[in-house]
Amino acid sequence: MSYRIGVDIGGTFTDLVLLRPEGTTVIHKLLTTPAAPERAILDGVNALLERAGVPVDAVSSIIHGTTLVANAIIERKGVPTALITTTGMRDVLEIGRELRYDTYDPFIAIPRPLVPRRHRFEVSERLDATGAVLEPLDEASVLAVFEAIREAGIDSVAVCLLHAYRNPVHEQRIAALARERGFGFTMSLSSDVMPEIREYERTSTTVANAYVKPIVDEYLVSLDEGLSRIGVRAPFNLMLSDGGTVDMAAAAEHPIRLVQSGPAGGVYAAQRWGSRSERGNLLVFDMGGTTAKACLIHDGEPSRTSDFEVAREYRFKQGSGLPLKVPVVEMLEIGCGGGSVAVIDGLGMIRVGPESAGAEPGPACYGAGGAAATVTDADLLLGYLSADNFLGGAMRLDVDAAREALRSAIAEPLGVDVVQAAWGVHEMANESMASAASVHALEKAVDVQRFSLFASGGAGPVHAAHIAQKLGIREVVCPLGAGVSSAFGFLTAPFAFEFSRSNPAPVHQTDFGQVRSHVADMEARARTLLQQAGVAPDAVLVEVTARMRYLGQGYEIVVTVPQDLLDAGDHDRLRQAFDAAYTERYGNLQDSAPEVVSWRVVVRSHPPVLPEPPAPEATAGGSSRPRPKGRRPVYFAATEGFVETDVHDRSGLQPGHVLTGPVVIEEAESTVVVPPGCEATVDRHRAIVIRIGNDHRPAADETGD
Amino acid sequence: MTTEDNPPIDSIQLGVVWQRLNSILDEAAQTFVRTAFSTVVRENWDFGFGLMASDGRLFAQSSRSVPSFIGTMPVTLRVMRETLGGDGWHEGDVLVTNDPWHCTGHLNDITLICPVFHRDRCIGYVGGISHTVDIGGATSPQARDLFEEGLCIPVSHIVRAGEENADVIRFLAANVRSPTETLGDLRAQIASMNETARRIRALLEDIGIDDLDHVSAEVLERSERRMRALIEAVPDGTYRSSIVADGYDEPLTIRVAVTIAGNEVAIDYEGTAGQVEKPINSVMNFTRSYSCYTIRSILDPATPNNDGSYAPISVTAPEGSLVNPQRPAPVWARHLTGHYFPPVIMSALADVLPERVMADSGSPLWATYLRGIRDDKSRFAKIFFMNGGHGARPDSDGPACLSFPSNVSNTPIEEFENELPIVVREKALISDSGGAGAHRGGLGQRITMEVRSERPVLFSYRNERVNHPPRGFLGGEHGSRGRHLVNGAVVNPKAQASLAQGDTFTFELPSGGGMFPAWRRPIAAVVEDVLNGDVTVASARDSYGVVLDASGSVDEAATDRVRTERADGAEAER
Repeated sequence: MSYRIGVDIGGTFTDLVLLRPEGTTVIHKLLTTPAAPERAILDGVNALLERAGVPVDAVSSIIHGTTLVANAIIERKGVPTALITTTGMRDVLEIGRELRYDTYDPFIAIPRPLVPRRHRFEVSERLDATGAVLEPLDEASVLAVFEAIREAGIDSVAVCLLHAYRNPVHEQRIAALARERGFGFTMSLSSDVMPEIREYERTSTTVANAYVKPIVDEYLVSLDEGLSRIGVRAPFNLMLSDGGTVDMAAAAEHPIRLVQSGPAGGVYAAQRWGSRSERGNLLVFDMGGTTAKACLIHDGEPSRTSDFEVAREYRFKQGSGLPLKVPVVEMLEIGCGGGSVAVIDGLGMIRVGPESAGAEPGPACYGAGGAAATVTDADLLLGYLSADNFLGGAMRLDVDAAREALRSAIAEPLGVDVVQAAWGVHEMANESMASAASVHALEKAVDVQRFSLFASGGAGPVHAAHIAQKLGIREVVCPLGAGVSSAFGFLTAPFAFEFSRSNPAPVHQTDFGQVRSHVADMEARARTLLQQAGVAPDAVLVEVTARMRYLGQGYEIVVTVPQDLLDAGDHDRLRQAFDAAYTERYGNLQDSAPEVVSWRVVVRSHPPVLPEPPAPEATAGGSSRPRPKGRRPVYFAATEGFVETDVHDRSGLQPGHVLTGPVVIEEAESTVVVPPGCEATVDRHRAIVIRIGNDHRPAADETGD
Repeated sequence: MTTEDNPPIDSIQLGVVWQRLNSILDEAAQTFVRTAFSTVVRENWDFGFGLMASDGRLFAQSSRSVPSFIGTMPVTLRVMRETLGGDGWHEGDVLVTNDPWHCTGHLNDITLICPVFHRDRCIGYVGGISHTVDIGGATSPQARDLFEEGLCIPVSHIVRAGEENADVIRFLAANVRSPTETLGDLRAQIASMNETARRIRALLEDIGIDDLDHVSAEVLERSERRMRALIEAVPDGTYRSSIVADGYDEPLTIRVAVTIAGNEVAIDYEGTAGQVEKPINSVMNFTRSYSCYTIRSILDPATPNNDGSYAPISVTAPEGSLVNPQRPAPVWARHLTGHYFPPVIMSALADVLPERVMADSGSPLWATYLRGIRDDKSRFAKIFFMNGGHGARPDSDGPACLSFPSNVSNTPIEEFENELPIVVREKALISDSGGAGAHRGGLGQRITMEVRSERPVLFSYRNERVNHPPRGFLGGEHGSRGRHLVNGAVVNPKAQASLAQGDTFTFELPSGGGMFPAWRRPIAAVVEDVLNGDVTVASARDSYGVVLDASGSVDEAATDRVRTERADGAEAER
């Protein structure tokens, strides 16, 4: 029998999902144990198996996502790290791109590099831009640097030499020297970690890799031992930031690829729903306590990027963090969550976030001493949330505290009543999330009105329908088990690994022989990693892409390169492929020659075939009308006030059930709000699919009474 | 027309509409980036979109607009209205101009404005400004008047009632070096503006109001009230300062008097040097933009960029001066003057607002042009930007090598070497360069380039802060001056140099000034600086009064003695 387990370690909770062979799931949630994260996993696995009544040797695989790497960098808890660079270049890491992320604020904080200047060393060597050796590596200078590093008590060493993306010879020689001379350093070479052009970004990535590598090593070793101890023999795999899965050894080799390991899972859960429901275009929207995250799935493929940033000084400002050149699922982070604080700004208008009341003391209604008015307080006063059913009733919300917070922070300064104030906060939160999503969609050149909004997170389903109305989106999907969707998503992801390498050349000068040899090398390495994880050699898909741009531009677009184009070495077809991709993104072409900056190879397995849950009886919903568990007054703009609204318990809904808004559907982790004019249907995966009506806003002549 | 005719919208709805309008402008910016042809647009975001009310006042602007575009659109709109005269605007019109005196101060920025019609009435205007790489002309840094600097487009219909004006297009195409790019950008700009107008009409339909008058009046009124309240909190008085730019033939003094009177600020540049026959003159619009930018940065960077916020700020300068030149003064590199406005205004206000200003940075922006021929006979021409150290701030050190007040990124060395026959030998922080202070100025950098091609490479540059260092504030010490060296020998900072194979050019960028007396810097911070090599042992002793022994540990007795002497000295000076 084949039981699969997904484990997601979040900041607060560790989530586990067990998928039974017949397609049903069992979930378990427990507190994360930050000092030794593996403890929560081991305890969780034991508890989950016990609850499901499954013997430990029946588990066929465990897939894991973790915030360990991101947290180590954000909290600056990595290991002391040294950096070795080409002569004259040790300050590249500190100088960066010389850009301010806020033009109007001269007082912004600039992130400190992970390696202080005194631990950055130079060795004498130089390659030119073609990779040819201008000056040989001076091994004596290397050994002197090794001594200095040992003297400083440092074990983890990043090496990033100029043009090493073209030619790794000197970096490799430095690593070999360390081995030969018995320096037991943990080495991270830029030519291994991410051989991409642009020295600052490559150095930053290599340094971050070195900074976390020993920690990830240690963690994986103790996790491995722990799992053996409790009798797990199944292979243990990890999810990378781009949604691919690899085995433990590959993850340990490339730890920086784990930097956004957890959130990618939620996107794969959405993709799976989309593929089973024939929805290729999804706006995946996860609104939690402090932030909302959005990711576009277009034609079934999640948006990806290799320009990632971690540890932002200012949470939502692009450019305020440390750049990492790693493949990630692209997520837009918006400073708006349930705990986001609403204030009256300098113009006398409501502003929501990015400040958050956090979990402690949290929103005023948590009754833990928080006095700030938050989105959750507003949602409570509007009747979207129930004081008695928050977190499945585990926490009683304090309505009076919420009212008082909104009265003093919003209603009084604006001279409106508390309900209007609450509606204003809810509305402004939605407006800011809709704006951010809309600008992001334009950046990605997609028409968001052709997308379905896939809502998860505690606050997502509360706000989703109203946000969809603002964006002109016609359909909202609220999946079952949204609280553990990342862990579930791990189970649906294919094994995959990506390698890339810069090899800048104008299209008409591309040396296809060399490209084929680089591609073959990357493919072989990725295949090895997948085989190591148990994937059969003939069960993989290989995708080759080129990052291309016009000569002189600073940013590239991704162009898919078919194998036969590569085999034929066809310059004209490469140009045509670029033209097509450029036109799709920018709508026009330039009067200039394109170039390839780097080549990328992704090798992936087919997505795992997951058992379908037992087909629901077709008539289950049709024959019975679900009975509400109660009614309460809920505020809607269209009704210009509170209306008595049916409240359903989600566990009582069956596939085929249809509910007409206004209606509220409660579950343990969240609440689905269905406004008037909208209709909710329970689909065969027990997701609630809301058809968004037109009449979200009363016409002008109806308001003027 | 009047706001009484509209159903008044409440404060909550106003907030929603305001957020939506800002979003619409940011979406216009995003659409433009996606459809424009030129790399400048796509990578430097050197453009901006704005929304003007029916009375012509600017009330919303796209969020990433560069400082030099602040407040210029209403001036351009006024000139356009005067030019149109009685005929007025028609639906589907788009007007164009790049006249430096009516727009942003140099020919490369092209301003377009179109009216927004709703229910047959003009309810406001959408403006767009974008930097074009080439506008014709000699491209010489030695231009002596505006005519040498390129094509000056007078106010013209580029689109009339929805039809592109073929005459204007032909004129443009005939006068620029890369018409595909320039016209492509203009058309993308027009399309983004039309889309903005459409979205605004849809918003009005959505919320059921006839025009934007109520919204714009409220936003402007609230912005103005906000700015006045912030100014009110500053003690009244006239605060003076001056700064000396290196200039070309002689130093040029920029003098400022900042008068705070109740809830208004008057910035006057009386006493500033006269205009020069070099392309560094800053027209009044540019002078006003960077002056307003500075006040906004000091008082509240989050205040909206609109005519309400800037209503309480007046900027004046003598006619014919460097900061208010008369036609046809050359203006191309106006930033070489304009980048001095933030430091000179901040130094004027340093005593009264010590917690809201920062010391001088190693700016104006440095650059060098490189022209030459590769060994494969292909030609190249490239601009390479460099930034010095950032000034120390009231609560923190100045970061090393950070662009201010403009915001221009560097070119990665690996990209640079892929494109040009040059090897960068060094790009390193200069130890000890940061102005000493309780908060230290950001370090400058040294960049050394070696020519590899058989034929010579021509470097052209005109950089500032070589004779006059970035100043420290409130007891902080000055930063270091910049230098230009060919094969190790110092050369003129505003010149051209032809370098043969194997020759090296070294740029030493100026650093930031310090803030507050250096002996007040925490000892631990000085030790950290010494460990990192940012400050030498000698400077730790001489500038900071921190005495380190041979092993690198602090000699506490000696340090205490030196620091006490400094403190007593400072006390005695009072």
